[in-house]
Amino acid sequence: MTAPLIQTQNLGKQFVSFKKLPGVMGSFTSFFKRNPIIKNAVEDFTFTVKAGEIVGLLGPNGAGKTTLMKMFTGIIVPSHGELKILGHNPWERDKALRKKMALVMGQKSQLWWDIPAMDSFLLLQKYYEISDEQFEERISKMSELLGVKDLLHIHVRKLSLGERMKMELMASLLHNPDVIFLDEPTIGLDLVAQENIRHFIKQYHEENQCCIIITSHYMQDVQALCDRLVLIFDGKKSFDGPIEEFEHILGHEKSVTFNFSCPQDPKHSFFSSLNTKWNEELTQLELRIEEARLREVSAQMIQDFPVEDFQTEKLPIERVMKELMNNPDLLRKKSP
Amino acid sequence: MNQFLINLDKWWITIKISWVKHTAYRLNFLLQILGPAIVFLFVKYNLWSAIYKGQPDLVIKGFNFQDMIQYHFWAFVVGLVAQGHGAWNLAEDIRMGRISSYLIYPFNFWEFHTASWISFQMIQIFITTVTLLIFKSMGIIQLPGSSLFIFGTVYTLFISCFWFSIQYLTGLISFWLEETWILRVSLNIVATFLSGAIIPLDLYPEALVKILNYTPFPYLSYYPIQIFMGKISSPMELSLGIAIIGIWTLALTYINHLIWKRGIKLYTAAGM
Repeated sequence: MTAPLIQTQNLGKQFVSFKKLPGVMGSFTSFFKRNPIIKNAVEDFTFTVKAGEIVGLLGPNGAGKTTLMKMFTGIIVPSHGELKILGHNPWERDKALRKKMALVMGQKSQLWWDIPAMDSFLLLQKYYEISDEQFEERISKMSELLGVKDLLHIHVRKLSLGERMKMELMASLLHNPDVIFLDEPTIGLDLVAQENIRHFIKQYHEENQCCIIITSHYMQDVQALCDRLVLIFDGKKSFDGPIEEFEHILGHEKSVTFNFSCPQDPKHSFFSSLNTKWNEELTQLELRIEEARLREVSAQMIQDFPVEDFQTEKLPIERVMKELMNNPDLLRKKSP
Repeated sequence: MNQFLINLDKWWITIKISWVKHTAYRLNFLLQILGPAIVFLFVKYNLWSAIYKGQPDLVIKGFNFQDMIQYHFWAFVVGLVAQGHGAWNLAEDIRMGRISSYLIYPFNFWEFHTASWISFQMIQIFITTVTLLIFKSMGIIQLPGSSLFIFGTVYTLFISCFWFSIQYLTGLISFWLEETWILRVSLNIVATFLSGAIIPLDLYPEALVKILNYTPFPYLSYYPIQIFMGKISSPMELSLGIAIIGIWTLALTYINHLIWKRGIKLYTAAGM
């Protein structure tokens, strides 16, 4: 199966809203004369996703990630361009397609609030026409993996956010979908719950080789799960490639931070040729070193200076992401 | 299992789940049963007793005291079965972007909403039956002959379908309008007034009644009440009501289908 599962060509979505001046008079005048504001939420978005891929969809708030997800899942209708999921137009909402797709929304519960999760699962079992054996097997397996076996019969409104999220995940994976859309699945969760969810998704993907599109603002999620990243700014795709390439988007430098036991002289000749960033007390130095020179420079630092400890950054993509968000023009220079 | 049974199964489990949802809050549920009955007893019964007080032979437009109480009781029963379901959720679901889940599940939004309504109707019919039995045992009402009673019940269920389809329509308008609350409240008030649910249509000016007969309104309350009171019993008159309400319901259902198809294109799934 190498045919693309998701294929888009110049996909776009425009939202029309109406400008309303504040206050009663504003309401009155806008009743008679409406000033439309057209916003391009997504523009000319072209990409393909193959079976088994996990793609991270990144971008600042309002960049168009969620709009894309809504178009992929057929919740909203694209304004222009082409979109095929498993060969279907998702907005026609063919039941055959809906049975192969799942959406998890971190910000919105799909489970019924007033009933235990298990009742919702039973409902979904019928909706997706899952056989009893498969249903039981998946429930027991997933609840084991997520550690929620004892919570299945508790009213959803009484569960904690983390527990509920696990139930949401279970609910959307019961029918063994081919394509899974996860919209910020770890939002608002504590560190342990985040890790549990990540671990679960990773394991689930390894076993089922499904295709996953995930959006998240937590770079740990992306780092742990995704092989490929797609970056969106202002509705436009501005990067699409493997995660390693993304790390190097701003050059092949590594960032190493050294802590010294006493203040150092930043004017020392050793530092003159390096890209340095000191803290106020001059006891901490962040160095940006060319990958090729990393060993040499670090060794010399440790030898010549009172280094207490040092660390290389754990999440280079976080730094890249921050810099890009502060300065989106960087990307334009990189990809003319 | 063939596909029909599988689908039936989906409907049935949705009905059961909605049942749990409707009765999840017990106090609320209890008040829902007791509330209308208490209002009926205290307000309407007392009002009309006061009007007829001391004049046992008073007849207003063909209604003596007993008839008037009968009329209002049956108006109450018809309202309970036909108009109990507010469909308030529908508009809110659309506006708050809550229908997204139903766009993703392989069970359509209208199917879900209809199943939820059926389940509500089952509860409502149970409540009505209990109310009927209580009022009957208190001697406040008389039941018509069994065939008229069954006919009246079936007719009232038709009316409830009509109400469901029109409320569904007002809900769908939320695709275009931010707030449809006023619209729905006004529809309810106008309908209650013009259908004879507040006072018998016999008390209205004749000219108005003549005009009303060309609208579906009298068939929503006045007609079924007349059936339950045994005042309409010719097969011709009986089938007229069903035909009119049936045609309106079918037309509304078709309109709903068209409106949904247009509206869903405007849906922005606010907040996802």
